[in-house]
Amino acid sequence: MKNLKLTSISQVQKTAVKIGGVTMGQGFCAIAGPCSIESQSQMMETAEAVKKAGADMLRGGAFKPRSSPYSFQGLGLEGLKILARAGRETGLPVITEVIDPRDVSWVAEFADVLQIGTRNMQNFSLLKEVGKAGRPVLLKRGMYSTLEEWLNCAEYILSEGNPDVILCERGIRTFERYTRNTLDLSAVPAMRALTHLPIIVDPTHSTGRPELVAPMSLAALAAGADGIMVEVHRRPQEALCDADQALTPEQFAGIMAKIRPMQEFLAGISKEKNRKASSIG
Amino acid sequence: MKLEEIRIKIDKIDRELLVLLQERMGLALRTKKFKESVSDPAREADLLARAERMALDLVERSFTRHLLKTIIDESKRLQQEERPLVAFQGEHGAYGEVAARRLVPGGAYIPCLEFVDVFRGVEEGEFDLGVVPVENSLEGAVTQVNDLLTDTKLKVVGEAKVPVNHCLLATDVRDYRDLRQVFSHPQALAQCRGFLARNRLEPRPYYDTAGAAKMLARENPRAAGAIASALCAELYDLEIVKEGIEDGPSNTTRFLLLARDMYDGRGDKTSVVFATRHEAGRLFEVLRLFADAKINLTRIASMPLRRDPDNYCFFLDFEGDENDEKAAEVLSQMEKLTITLKKLGSYPANGGIG
Repeated sequence: MKNLKLTSISQVQKTAVKIGGVTMGQGFCAIAGPCSIESQSQMMETAEAVKKAGADMLRGGAFKPRSSPYSFQGLGLEGLKILARAGRETGLPVITEVIDPRDVSWVAEFADVLQIGTRNMQNFSLLKEVGKAGRPVLLKRGMYSTLEEWLNCAEYILSEGNPDVILCERGIRTFERYTRNTLDLSAVPAMRALTHLPIIVDPTHSTGRPELVAPMSLAALAAGADGIMVEVHRRPQEALCDADQALTPEQFAGIMAKIRPMQEFLAGISKEKNRKASSIG
Repeated sequence: MKLEEIRIKIDKIDRELLVLLQERMGLALRTKKFKESVSDPAREADLLARAERMALDLVERSFTRHLLKTIIDESKRLQQEERPLVAFQGEHGAYGEVAARRLVPGGAYIPCLEFVDVFRGVEEGEFDLGVVPVENSLEGAVTQVNDLLTDTKLKVVGEAKVPVNHCLLATDVRDYRDLRQVFSHPQALAQCRGFLARNRLEPRPYYDTAGAAKMLARENPRAAGAIASALCAELYDLEIVKEGIEDGPSNTTRFLLLARDMYDGRGDKTSVVFATRHEAGRLFEVLRLFADAKINLTRIASMPLRRDPDNYCFFLDFEGDENDEKAAEVLSQMEKLTITLKKLGSYPANGGIG
């Protein structure tokens, strides 16, 4: 791949992004929370539930890039305040999407990580702005984008002086209609070979089906991802946005109960492999 | 003018009316100290006659009379409530008022232009209590106040450590993207320099933090915000864009509550001011008294004497009441070692906060 001066694997050791007490790129990081911040009580209740279930970070949207201009657009600045407070009270770092270059500095005042959504992956003026924001950036894959296009977008952020970029595979558009999008899990090991940046998986938006979130989360871990980002709502049927795909806190806790032992098991295998390798040597 | 523009102007006037009413009630409470009784029929009649004197066609006489009567009745009701008058320096919403509200809940908080007005007002009986800042965790001693403390007859009857929580205030948070300039006291602007730079906001110096908030509420200049306390948001109907915008670790200001009489219970902290002769070891001898008696000191600060520039006086705070056996003994020993010794008073230490 041409012109990948900063993102390509030949550049540096694997990047580890420190966010509060969490290190993205070491171990397996679970980000959970509602699609949209709707109210103080909804955010707090969900935040406490996902923390209890073992989440490492909190997500919540204050600015929503909706397909229809008549859909709920998010609470804006009020939402950011609610999210920051939920983060303070639970001790979890918070991540939220920014959709307008004019908002970047303000969102950075409230959030620990800035998210660039799939629809804005190639919004170059926005990428340049988050490159200057002094906060880690989670860059979602554009739903029509190739890996090379995706890496070029990460390159934009890095070239502005921000080394802390996390990639997020969130599914691509194919002819399949049963799932919302098609989760391209092969992107995880492929990106491992191409770049030093951490990569996580969004099993919620890629499948659009709550019953597929658990198996795809475990598959993400098996494929070598650095984490998952899952939509969880205290009462999914009442959600103002994407009500049909969020998990209940109990369902999320069920996934985490499988993730942690599997993580240990995989860590055991790689340790065993290293031991054998060194004993041969 | 569009409907929206007209409504913005109406909101501004309503806000201003209420801020002015708050000021009027404060002034009415202050008249109590000069009157035999709350009711003064001659003055009341004179106030109500304004309805006849001012010919405002849209504010009709009957309405004016009714409105003024309602205001007068309310101010008489307030005067009968026995609220202590608590003076502080600055505009309504200043950090001094934040401290005053914590130290004396349910008081009437009266703004003063200068620290000296707080001291003189309490000394002369115009106010019941006064609240003044003595030191800030970042900026150090408030010299004007410490200077006034060396001279005053007033007693310290309480203290409060108030965390300085700078907030960015605006008349409508939905317009945060349009903010371009931010008004505040130069010290507050300096403490928030990083925040202002990150968000491309131009600092505009103003005489006072709360004064900037008040100006914002009354004049609403274009694309402007103010840095002031969260209390200012409540008092002036402003919205908080973000709390805690100071760059460094948050700083705390220690305020003292002043009264004409001593605190009547047992205090757990005592403040004194003293001066020693210009001789080797004098200050050390004083401090040794406290060390030998195992009394913990919480503050010691020196200040040049304005009356006598080559000499210094010392502010000393220690744990316990001045009438505690050990402390009383130390203080009587101190009389012999100092040229002046003034007990400012014993009082309850800041209750668990800060």
